[in-house]
Amino acid sequence: MNVETDRLRDMLIEFFELRPDTTASDIVQDRIAKWDSLAMVQLIVELQTAFGVEFEVDEIDRLTSYSQIGEALGRKGVKISR
Amino acid sequence: MHSPIDVTLLRVPESARPAVSEALGETPTWVKVRRANAALDGAEARLRGPEVAVNLLASFNLEPIEPALRLGLQCIPCRPQLRIAPLNTIEQTLLDKGSPVYQESSLATVVLWRIEELLPEVLLPFSSGGAEVLKRQVELLWSRIERVCRAHRETGKSPLFVSTFPVPRVLSGLVLNSQLTTGPMSAVAELNRRLYELAASAPGIYVLDLNWWAGHEGASAFDPLMEQMARQPLSLRGALSLGLFAARHLRPLLAPRRKVLVLDLDNTVWGGILGEDGIHHLKLGHDFPGNIFLRIQREARELKNQGVLLALLSKNDEAEVQQAFRELPDMELKWEDFVSKRVNFNHKHENLLEMAEELGLGIDSFAVLDDSDYEREQIRMFHPEVLVINQRGDPLHMLQALQSTDAFDVYAVTAEDRGRHREYELREMRSTQGCETNLEEFLRSLHLQATIESVHEGNVERVVQMLSKTNQFNLTTRRHRLEELKALVAMPGSINLALRLSDKFGDQGIVGVLLAVPAEDGRRLRIDSYLVSCRALGRGVEEFLWAELARQALDHEVHGVIGEYIPTPKNGLAKGFYDKLGFARVKESASMTRYLMEPLKPVEPPVWLASNGGQ
Repeated sequence: MNVETDRLRDMLIEFFELRPDTTASDIVQDRIAKWDSLAMVQLIVELQTAFGVEFEVDEIDRLTSYSQIGEALGRKGVKISR
Repeated sequence: MHSPIDVTLLRVPESARPAVSEALGETPTWVKVRRANAALDGAEARLRGPEVAVNLLASFNLEPIEPALRLGLQCIPCRPQLRIAPLNTIEQTLLDKGSPVYQESSLATVVLWRIEELLPEVLLPFSSGGAEVLKRQVELLWSRIERVCRAHRETGKSPLFVSTFPVPRVLSGLVLNSQLTTGPMSAVAELNRRLYELAASAPGIYVLDLNWWAGHEGASAFDPLMEQMARQPLSLRGALSLGLFAARHLRPLLAPRRKVLVLDLDNTVWGGILGEDGIHHLKLGHDFPGNIFLRIQREARELKNQGVLLALLSKNDEAEVQQAFRELPDMELKWEDFVSKRVNFNHKHENLLEMAEELGLGIDSFAVLDDSDYEREQIRMFHPEVLVINQRGDPLHMLQALQSTDAFDVYAVTAEDRGRHREYELREMRSTQGCETNLEEFLRSLHLQATIESVHEGNVERVVQMLSKTNQFNLTTRRHRLEELKALVAMPGSINLALRLSDKFGDQGIVGVLLAVPAEDGRRLRIDSYLVSCRALGRGVEEFLWAELARQALDHEVHGVIGEYIPTPKNGLAKGFYDKLGFARVKESASMTRYLMEPLKPVEPPVWLASNGGQ
């Protein structure tokens, strides 16, 4: 697994205060109570800071799961391999 | 460029310092902010300052940045409970007498507003009906602002901090809009000017200059994405900085300012070393780098004029230093500007103790500017209570540290503040002057005059200031804030006395306060606060206050007076004072001695202290 991918999982686990053994596929907005619109606002700041990227407006609505975020980061050159 | 926050100056418990430094460092994240808040929440309560509630109202959404604001306020230090009003309900909240802002006690209410939300039309002046229409709208907005402030004045018990309007950051037609007399920039300037005037004339209302802050922080404090997405314009960095900015404005409510600025000389007040370079090779004046030292001197003199005492602490030969003060052409500071001087080769930490003794102040009233790493370290080691203002010896850094320190923050400079330096000078004269043979004769020769005033609008700020600063002759050391004091003096049956003292050297202002409230059974009074400024001690002020209280109390048919002595590390001087007045001890514990005088006996005021009528 790619280092950056792990970092994304770790980051999301810490950000949403999930169990450390949460799998990447379980990190989906619908399944995480804390992932509300307020958290979304902070999450975007967090992702942009952590990965040194900037999201465009039409990407933001789609950042709703580990895999979607991974894809968006991949498009910005943050290498993801699964 | 964003300037990193000097975390060594943050007043947070050691255990939380790494997490707080990380959150306020170069790359803040929300997780780091959360960790910092958790570290602070987990630290020992007594190191974290008092628990306070702060009401926050804004025209933009504060909810998403609450943790960042809270972190900033924790650095006062205090344990803040933030009460954030729903988005853009400033008027509804402050006009409603039943709102929690008025119903529940709080440290302060802070209002943050922007033109973008309150008067968006002005951002697009050519689509909004032209200058006349906009002018009316600016007037309308101003009347809303005035109404809100008036409502708070009538009902609010804690101070209100109103922000200025920041100049809009994002604006089309920059060049054109800058030419308009009623455009975005001019409207903001007009509203801000009125805000300064309003706050200056309304006690309990203060300005939080959000416009200054926005300019100072620059683009990195803002996030256009957040502005659109979350209805709040700040980046995380901006939110953290705003929290610290608000903290700085609230801090004087909780912590008194430092009273003395102690200056070193060589490479602090002038460039170079007097003993080595000689007077004529010292760097001071209008050329670089002497201009930096000149500016340091000007800043120090400005503080002096704001009521901060200046003291001189230098390892030098005193005669040479006096010569330098006389002969250096660009000296802005004069030898007489310093109320206490130690120019010798003793340890600076020992000299500091002597100065504290001489001025009758606690060592924690001192702040030091000194270029020497060794001296600063020594002072920090021996007297951790002394604030060392600068962290390095570089002159530009020292200037900036002096300019940006919060050590001397106050909301207003009272007449007493302005005259304080002169009073200390006169005190020195009093102590050296005259050949009076006995004390009473000496005191008579001073032509002391006491004027008793009740606590009223005109002196209430000075009384609050005395309550917050007087340590030595202070029987109970109750630090009432403005609203508490107002409630106390408004109590039916209370007697509140402020004593103004003058002597042949001049008016010394209010130097004594005695506040007594009815005790539970209504036939007694309880002395809530009894304090005399240390610069007026030994002149009968304390006895005069008591004689006046007894007289007024007997007029009101009060049977007895309860006194309390609450010991602190600093008020040993006042211990036994009630015994001296003839009170009986009724209850003694380590934390308080309770006294009673019943029946109350009239007492003559000291013979050397003339009563000047008053009211």
